[in-house]
Amino acid sequence: MALLEVRDLSVTYSPRDADTVRAVDGVSFEVHDGEFVGLLGESGCGKSTLGNAVLRLLDKPAAITGGTITFDGKDITSTSEDDLRSLRWVDLSTVFQSSMNSLNPVITIRSQFADTFEAHDNDVDVDDRAGELLEMVSLDRSVLGRFPHELSGGMKQRVALALALALEPRFVLLDEPTTGLDVVVQRDILDRLRVLQARLGFAVLFISHDLGTVMELADRVMVMYAGELVEDQPAAEMVTRHLHPYSAGLLGSYADPRDEIVEVEFIPGRPPDLSQSHAGCLFQPRCPVAVDRCRTVHPDLLPAGRGQVRCLLVEESVGDRAVLDKAAALRHRDQVFAAGPSALADADPVLVVEGISKIYRTRRGLTTTVTTAVDDVSFALRPGQVTALVGQSGSGKTTIARMLTGVERPTAGSIRFKDAPVDHLRRRALRKYRRHVQLVFQDPFSALNPTRTVAYALSRPLRNHLGLSGAEARARAGELLETVGLSPAAQYLDKLPHQLSGGQRQRVVIARALAPEPEVVIADEPISMLDVSIRAEIIALLDALVRDRGIAMLYITHDLLSARLLADEVMVLNEGVMVERGPTLQVIGEAKDPYTRKLLAAIPRPGASGTPVVARGDTEMGAESA
Amino acid sequence: MLYFLRRTGFFVATLWAAVTLNFLIPRLQPGDPAQALLARLQGNTQAVNPAQLAAIRKMLGTHDGNLLSQYWDYLGAVVHGQFGVSYSYYPYSVTAMIATALPWTLILVGVTQIASFAIGTLLGAWAAYRRNSRVDSVITLGSTFVGTLPFFWIGLLLIFVFAITLNWFPDGGGYGGGSSPSWTWLFFSDAFQHSVLPALALLITGPVGWIIGMRNNMVQTLGEDYARLARAKGLPRRRIALTYGARIAILPNVTGFAIALGGLLGGTVLVETIFNYPGLGRLLLEAVSNKDYPLMQALFLFTTIGVLIANFLADVTYGFLDPRVRRAEAT
Repeated sequence: MALLEVRDLSVTYSPRDADTVRAVDGVSFEVHDGEFVGLLGESGCGKSTLGNAVLRLLDKPAAITGGTITFDGKDITSTSEDDLRSLRWVDLSTVFQSSMNSLNPVITIRSQFADTFEAHDNDVDVDDRAGELLEMVSLDRSVLGRFPHELSGGMKQRVALALALALEPRFVLLDEPTTGLDVVVQRDILDRLRVLQARLGFAVLFISHDLGTVMELADRVMVMYAGELVEDQPAAEMVTRHLHPYSAGLLGSYADPRDEIVEVEFIPGRPPDLSQSHAGCLFQPRCPVAVDRCRTVHPDLLPAGRGQVRCLLVEESVGDRAVLDKAAALRHRDQVFAAGPSALADADPVLVVEGISKIYRTRRGLTTTVTTAVDDVSFALRPGQVTALVGQSGSGKTTIARMLTGVERPTAGSIRFKDAPVDHLRRRALRKYRRHVQLVFQDPFSALNPTRTVAYALSRPLRNHLGLSGAEARARAGELLETVGLSPAAQYLDKLPHQLSGGQRQRVVIARALAPEPEVVIADEPISMLDVSIRAEIIALLDALVRDRGIAMLYITHDLLSARLLADEVMVLNEGVMVERGPTLQVIGEAKDPYTRKLLAAIPRPGASGTPVVARGDTEMGAESA
Repeated sequence: MLYFLRRTGFFVATLWAAVTLNFLIPRLQPGDPAQALLARLQGNTQAVNPAQLAAIRKMLGTHDGNLLSQYWDYLGAVVHGQFGVSYSYYPYSVTAMIATALPWTLILVGVTQIASFAIGTLLGAWAAYRRNSRVDSVITLGSTFVGTLPFFWIGLLLIFVFAITLNWFPDGGGYGGGSSPSWTWLFFSDAFQHSVLPALALLITGPVGWIIGMRNNMVQTLGEDYARLARAKGLPRRRIALTYGARIAILPNVTGFAIALGGLLGGTVLVETIFNYPGLGRLLLEAVSNKDYPLMQALFLFTTIGVLIANFLADVTYGFLDPRVRRAEAT
């Protein structure tokens, strides 16, 4: 008998002022003792809802509307909150996504351990046991006396992990436990998690949108799309024999940046609106290999290969991949974005940065703290080329961006835009300069004024910088939307940001940056908040814009894969110092600096050999590696 | 420590600015107190003899010097706690007038303010704890409804029902006509009788803001990940509500409360006027209508100092309650 059995589980959101949405629809799966199961899906696919349902943490307006959840033989689908308490944390514990917010800000870490022990009448010495748990996740015991705001994001998430293991649970649900953390920190925590899981033998349901991580960690991977499970396969199998076209698309968005030719795919379109009912396969509108029958027949999750798949094509070919392979070959070229080696052309640089440094002095009373955010950095941006600035958070990337836009002035060194000294510009000259240097922000959700339409957002720079009239600006805004692939533009002009998907919003942000016809675009992590399946799409757009319009782009990122795809030149920044710089392929292929290597090592490689494989419980899948 | 010094420095600077403004503002108003007093003494406005005017000025102790020397004298007097003689209650000193009125306000309004805060916070927390239940609807809708009623209307309604129609309580004043302030049981029970209606009026409207504020804050904190995690940890509901909800939600309310206490005097004018209550609010009203500069100035100064002290206390308590602020303090 499995430890956790979910049968036909459905969860429905019934908000008062909107249509009901079936966020989870007839999901069935099992998790065995000691098994590590990954649950993969894009944002909005229902994976977190499913996780919350399993933990019985759903709040109104969400409710379980069908099916059962059985834990260790006990049906917990409708157990009362009071009865659940004895089960919570002792058997089922969890680590939430946002490390910023999962700890109580006004009590110490010690108190948060203490109340857990107390609630379950666990008569242990809190300092002793909690200290031991903290050491288990490589934290010092002194952390016990601290408050959450005194810890970094990574430390908080370690505390959350230690807390989850406090009562030695048999099942831990991890809901995007490392999203939002630095790659290197992320890597560290996940490695630690894997070791602990092998040692303590708890079962894990690992929810993530990050395919690479899931594939690398899990024994078995379940793929969720639009509230349904579409594939359930052993992880090792998944890499080589993924059966569902959606899984194929997700896998296609990953590649090793060190390869000679790097190719990524993307899945055009958006997930269906789950407040409507749909006939046929839910993935069909986005599916590159769909046939007519997909439109009318809704496939079931049926055994295929060594797992299960929900796809008519697989069903018909009974595990034979010939059909899928043939269809895959027909895939449109525009769904693939490839970057080969590119030579650095010697165009005249438009923006030259020479030996800039930025030193912050913070005065608190009599002591002055000097922080060197950027230390003697030089580079040049050339038209039609992308220069990537890679580094983890706190490495000074954003400070450089701020100096380039003239928001801050360098403490030393100079920045020249053509002939203008950027670091000496003031008022009108600075305003004129800003027309030529535009920004694309990281978070498309907060980069647009939520109360203003797309047309307004785009017309502001047009009117301010180019002096267009209202009607002209609107016409131009339409053209810009077409340029960034939002067509027909008329359909988008009068929409408010919340009516657009994340990818569409980012396109609007890019269109806004293009509006004043800039010569330099600074893109600060433009894809890190987007779903995997549309990242490549935005990269392709940025690439096309740079090449077609001869824009010089500074691409700021911590993600070496996207840097590899987009950039001609890569600069690696570590604690304000540029540690490596050169043509992309050279820097990534033959990284010399230890820090660059560390960044490379932190990239998850699904199914790559060399991943330590740990035997887990009674599953045999763990023993295999691709 | 440094934080404390900086706050104190800021406190002193604001105090000086307040004292100065307090000196200037009444003098910028049109009208001459001596003339007003004379007019009132005479009962009608006959032509005023300049000599009479000068005599009255002398009697009231108004200065002849220019603004600067007046200001200098004023500062010296403030430092020594001398606010001069009241124009309207001549020959009582301003300090004596305030000393008589202060206890009335302090007890009536102070007690009801604290009670309002306690009641409001508790009701708000209860509503948030049982959100979307009937309790929540009753508390939220009820307080919103009461919040829309004008205070004076509630006061007059109370007087009409309980004092005039039912005759349970007196319709105004601080104590009965027959008694005078003394440390006797009789006087206290009489004063209590008189304070019931104004206190009730204050207690009906007082908690509304705290209820809404507390409920909304707490609904929000209970929706945060840490509260959800507390539930996943299997903590008892009450513990979650207190430590993971109320404990965090109360923070902005505490600041609000300290500031409200400081601004207490302004709020008392209305209630003391309606109930003819012998406190600072009524004193202020009379001072303003009689152009009683010394009294006005002293009262304004009192208010300002009250607000400043309250802000200061709010900063300190907030640091005490919220470790996130405490750290900024320590460094």
